[in-house]
Amino acid sequence: MAEHIRMSRRRLLASAGQAAAVVAAGGIAPHFIRPGRALAADALAPGMIGGPTGFEGAERYQYGPDTPEGRAIEAVKEMKGAGSAPARIVLGLSDGSIGQLTQPFPEGAPSIKELWERETGIPLEVVGVPNGQEFTKTMQDISTNGGAFDIYAVEWNRLGDLAETGGIVNLDDFVEKHGPEWDDPERGYVNGKKGVSLLNQYRGSTYGVSLDGDFQTWVYRTDLFEDDTEKKAFADRHGRELTLPTTWQEFDEVAAFFHRPDQGLFGSTDLRNQGWGYTNWYQRFVSMGAPNQYLFDDAGAALINSEAGMKATEEYVASLTHHSPDAISWGWPEQYGNFASGGAAMTCAFSNLPKFLDNPSNQGSEVTGKVGSMLPPGRAIDGNLVRRSVLWLNLSASVSSQSAHPEACYLFLQWLGSSRIYAWMTANPGGYFDPFRLSDFSDPLVRQTYHAYHMDVVRQTVQRTVPTINYPGATAFHNALDENLMAALTKSKTPEQAMADTERQWQRIARRVGEEKLLEAIKTNKEAWPTVLDPVGT
Amino acid sequence: MTRSPAFEIFRYTVILLALSVTLIPTLWMTSMAFKPIPEWSASGADLTWWPNEPTLDNFRFIFGESSSELIVALDRTAGKPILASLLSAVFGTLIAMISGTSAAYGLSRFGAGQSLPLALTQLRLFPPLAVMIPVMIMWAFLGLTDTWWGLALVYGIVTLPFAFWLMKTFFDDMPYEIEEAALVEGCSRFRVFMRVTLPMMRAPLASSALFVFILNWSDYLIALLLTTREWVTIPVYMASLSSSMTGQLYGAKAALGLIAAVPPVILGIAIQRHLVRGLTFGALKQ
Amino acid sequence: MVVVDAAGGGGRQDEESRRLGFALTVPAQMLVLFIAAFPLLMQAYISLTDWSPLDGIGWWRAWELWNGFANYSDLATDNRFWGALGRTIIVMAICVPAEFLLGFGLAILFTGNFVGRRFFYSVLLMPMMVVPAVAGYMFFMLFQSGGPVNDILSAIIGSPVQIAWLSDPDLALFAVIASDIWQWTPLMFLILLAGLLGVPEDQLKAATLLGASWWQRFVTIVLPRMKTIIVIALAIRVIENFKVFDTFYIMTGGGPGVATETISIFIYKVTTQELVWGYVAAIGLTILIVLSVVAGVAIKYMSAQRREA
Repeated sequence: MAEHIRMSRRRLLASAGQAAAVVAAGGIAPHFIRPGRALAADALAPGMIGGPTGFEGAERYQYGPDTPEGRAIEAVKEMKGAGSAPARIVLGLSDGSIGQLTQPFPEGAPSIKELWERETGIPLEVVGVPNGQEFTKTMQDISTNGGAFDIYAVEWNRLGDLAETGGIVNLDDFVEKHGPEWDDPERGYVNGKKGVSLLNQYRGSTYGVSLDGDFQTWVYRTDLFEDDTEKKAFADRHGRELTLPTTWQEFDEVAAFFHRPDQGLFGSTDLRNQGWGYTNWYQRFVSMGAPNQYLFDDAGAALINSEAGMKATEEYVASLTHHSPDAISWGWPEQYGNFASGGAAMTCAFSNLPKFLDNPSNQGSEVTGKVGSMLPPGRAIDGNLVRRSVLWLNLSASVSSQSAHPEACYLFLQWLGSSRIYAWMTANPGGYFDPFRLSDFSDPLVRQTYHAYHMDVVRQTVQRTVPTINYPGATAFHNALDENLMAALTKSKTPEQAMADTERQWQRIARRVGEEKLLEAIKTNKEAWPTVLDPVGT
Repeated sequence: MTRSPAFEIFRYTVILLALSVTLIPTLWMTSMAFKPIPEWSASGADLTWWPNEPTLDNFRFIFGESSSELIVALDRTAGKPILASLLSAVFGTLIAMISGTSAAYGLSRFGAGQSLPLALTQLRLFPPLAVMIPVMIMWAFLGLTDTWWGLALVYGIVTLPFAFWLMKTFFDDMPYEIEEAALVEGCSRFRVFMRVTLPMMRAPLASSALFVFILNWSDYLIALLLTTREWVTIPVYMASLSSSMTGQLYGAKAALGLIAAVPPVILGIAIQRHLVRGLTFGALKQ
Repeated sequence: MVVVDAAGGGGRQDEESRRLGFALTVPAQMLVLFIAAFPLLMQAYISLTDWSPLDGIGWWRAWELWNGFANYSDLATDNRFWGALGRTIIVMAICVPAEFLLGFGLAILFTGNFVGRRFFYSVLLMPMMVVPAVAGYMFFMLFQSGGPVNDILSAIIGSPVQIAWLSDPDLALFAVIASDIWQWTPLMFLILLAGLLGVPEDQLKAATLLGASWWQRFVTIVLPRMKTIIVIALAIRVIENFKVFDTFYIMTGGGPGVATETISIFIYKVTTQELVWGYVAAIGLTILIVLSVVAGVAIKYMSAQRREA
C-alpha cells in the first residue's frame, strides 16, 4: 500500500515536471490522438496484469500473465522479492532513439521508462550514445573494461564481432527459461525462426534482441509523379508513361528526368557518403541474379570481382549524376533535410522518413502530404523481376558481460522487444526505432504514425530485403568495400580496380577471421536471403 | 618605414581585404545563429547574408525552451555540455597553473627539475592520438572516463608545458633583489615565494592562466575520446545537433558555436599583449 | 629557446633551496611520469602483438597474440599510412609557407602608425581564438555547394557557381587547407609582428641615410635580426600542423575517400573503426620515437646556435 501511494505521488510529480515534454510529444503526435477525446482506458483491461493505460486503445499494448511481457515482469518481480534484482539498469542507446523510451505517448500514456519503473521498481537509466558511434563506444567500454553500461545497443550485423570479443552475454539460457516467443507466427519476426536467427543470433546462439527495422525503403514525391505537365514532358521525351520505376534502368531514366539542380531539384537524394552510401551499391549488386546475387559462394570465395560487381559499381558511380553535387559529403541529416525542403524526386531511406517528413507538425518540411512509397527497383532476369533492398544499421540490444545482473537485463529486453510494448514504442514519433514485427505492420497506432500507404510498402520491402554481412569481421569487410567504392565514386579507382582491391582485402580479412567460422556464418546468413520474385512490369 | 600616399592606399586596401576574409566566416555563423529554419537551408537559390526574420529560437532551442519541433528528441540541452566545458577547462587550468608555476619557480630559482624543459616540450610535440589507447584504458581503469575531473586531469597535463614555459620566462625576468631583501628579513624561502613572489606575479599569472584556459576550452579530440555522455563538452555535443525532421541543425550549431567562440575571443583580446609569449612557449617576449 | 639557466638568479644553493626546489617541481614531474610511464610501456608491449579488442581478451593477455615486429614491418608497406603521412606533409608544405608569407606581409604593413591600427590588429587576431571545432562547422557550412563561398564566387564571376567543394577529392583538400590558413595566419602575423617591432629603429634610420632601399634594409638588417623568431614561428606551425585533427575531421571526416585523411585522422579511424590496436600502438610509438629524435636534434642545434650568438 505504501508502495502504491509513493508510486502514484511520484507519478504525479513526474507528470507535472514533464508537462513540457508531453506538450512536445503531443505536438508531433498524429492528429487523431489529440486531447479532447475521452480517455477510456484508465485502468488495465480485464485479465491483463500490466501495460500502458490512459489512452484510447491502450488495451492493445497490455499483457496477461502468459505473454512474453507478462513473464518478464513476473520474473523480475520474483528477483526483486529474492533480493537479487539490480538497483538500476543502465542502457546505452543512440541519442536519437531515447525519446521513444522517455517521452509519454500518446497523450495520457506514461513513457516506456515510467511504465517499466512503475511495474518493476527498477530504475532505468538511458544513456545516449552519439548516432553513428554506437559500435565505437561499445568497443571502448568492452576493451577498457569501462563498465559504463549494462546493455549496449549496436548495429545488428556487428553481433558476431561483439560476441567474439566476449564482451556480450550469451542469452540462450534466459531465452530457454523465459520464452520470448520471437517466432510467433502472428506477432513475431518476419520469416519466423529464420528471422530470429538473422537478427538475434550468432552461430546458433542468441546474443541480441532486435529493437529496430531498418529495411531501406524507397519514397517518392507524389506531387511530381502525378503532375500532368511532368507526365506529358516525360512521355514526349521517352515515349512511355511516367510511372514509378520498376527496374534500375527505369530508375536512372526517371531520376535523370527530374534532375534540375538549377531549380533546386535533384533526381534522387540517397546516400553516397562514406559508411552509408554502399547500401545503394548493395541493392544494385544483389539484384544481379535470381533469386539473388550473393557476395560469397558456399566455399567462401568472394563474388564481387565479377561482371556483376563491375556493372553494379559502374551504375553506382554513374548515379551520382542525378544527385546533389554534395552527395558524397552528405550524411542522413543532410539527406533528410534535402528531401524535407522538396529538394529531390526520390530517395531511399530508413523506413521512418515519412514519419518525420510527412508530418503536419513538422514546420520544417515542405513535402507533407506529398510523399509516396514504392518498392525498390530491380532487374528483369529470366522473365522475373528481382527487386532487392537491404537491411542496414538496425540496432539490436545486447547484455554486457560486465553487468552484474545479466538476467534482469535480458528480462528488460524481452519485455521491451516483445510485440505489445514494441509496437507501442515504435509508434512513438520521439525516436528512430522502426517497426519490424509482423504485428507492427497492422497496428493502428503504428500505421497512423508511419502512414498506412507506407506500412504496406515496408511490409513488402521486408520480404525483398537482403541482410548485409553479419559474420565476424563484418566491420572490416564493410570498411574495405566502402573504402573502395568511395575511391570509385571519387574516380581515384576504376570500378574494376575497386572490385579487385575489395576482393583482395576480403581474402585477407577472411584469413584473419578463420575459414571455418566464416563458412558457417555465411551459410546461416544466406538462409535469410529473400526468394520473392515479381512479375516483370509491376 | 616608407610613407607615400600610394603606400597608404595599398596598406589600407590589403588590410581591409584581410579583414573581410577574416570576418566573413564568423559573420556567416553569427547570422546563421539568428536565422529561422526556412532560412538555414544551403540548398536553394534564396541564400541571404542577413536573417530576413531574425529570431532567438536557435538559442532557446539548445537550452530546451523551444516549442519548435526541430528535432526528434532533444534529450539534453546545451546547459550540461557548457558546464562540462567550463569545469574541465577551469580545473585543467588550475592543475596546469599550480604545478607549472611551482615547477617553473623551482627551476628558475633553484635549478631543480633539469629534465622538465625537454620532457614538457616533447609532451607538447606529440600528437595526443599516438598515446590515446593506453590513456583510454588507464582512464577507464581509474574510473575517470566520462567525468569532468578525468577530462580536467588530461587538460592539466596537456597544457602544463605552456604554463611552465610561460611562468619560467616571467620568473627569469623578475629581478631577484626583492626576494633577497625578504630573505634578509628572515623569511623562509617558501614564505618568500608565497608572500612576495607570487603577489608580484599577479598579472603574468592571470594572463598565463587565461591563455591556458583558452587552450583547454578549445579541445575537441580528447573530449571525443574520453567522454561518452554525462560530461561531453560543447564541441562533442555540437555533433549531435541534427534531426530527422530538418537534417543538420545549422542554426542550433551556429548558436552554440557562437557561445563557444565568445569566451576565448574576449579573453584573447584581454591578454593580447601576452599572446605572443604564450604561443611561442615563452621564447618571445613582448 | 630551451636554455636551462641552472643556478638561475644567482640564488644560494643551500639545503633549504635544494629541498624547496625539489618539492616545487614534484607535481609537474609526477604528472609527466603519470602520462608517460604506463602508457609508453603498455604501448611498447601491445605493439609487439596482434591484439585487438575484438579478440575478447584483456590487453594484459596480449602476449598470447605475440607477433614480434610484424606490426612494424606491416607499417613499412601500409599504403594508407604512407598516404596519410604524405598528405600531412603536403598540407604542411602548403599551409605553413602560405601562413608565413601572408602573416609576414601583414606584419610588415602593420609597422608604423596609422589610423585604426589597434582595431585592425585585434580583429585580425580573432580567427586563432575561435575554437577549432567550431571553425570546422563554420567551414563545413561555407563550402556547401549552395553555400556562401560559391555565392561570393558567383557574384565575382557573374554566373552561378555550383562547386561541390567537399565532395571532390582535390577541392576538399583545398577547402581544409583554406580553413587552416584562415585560422592560423593570425598566429604568424602576431609572432612576426612582435619580431619586426623588435628591430632597432636607429639602425634602420642609419641605413636609410646611407641610401639603402627598402628591400636592401629588409634583407640586410630586418631578416638577420628576425632569424630566431622566424624559426620559432615556423617550428610552432610545423608542430601544430602535423597534429591537425579538429577542423579537418569535422569538415570532411578525412573524406571523400581518404582525400583529406591526415596522420591524426588516420590513427583516429584505425583506432575506432578497424580496432587493430596492436598495430595502432606500433604506429603511435614509431611517431613518438621519430619525433623525439627530431626534437632532440633540433633543440641541440638551436641551443648550439644560441651559444654562438
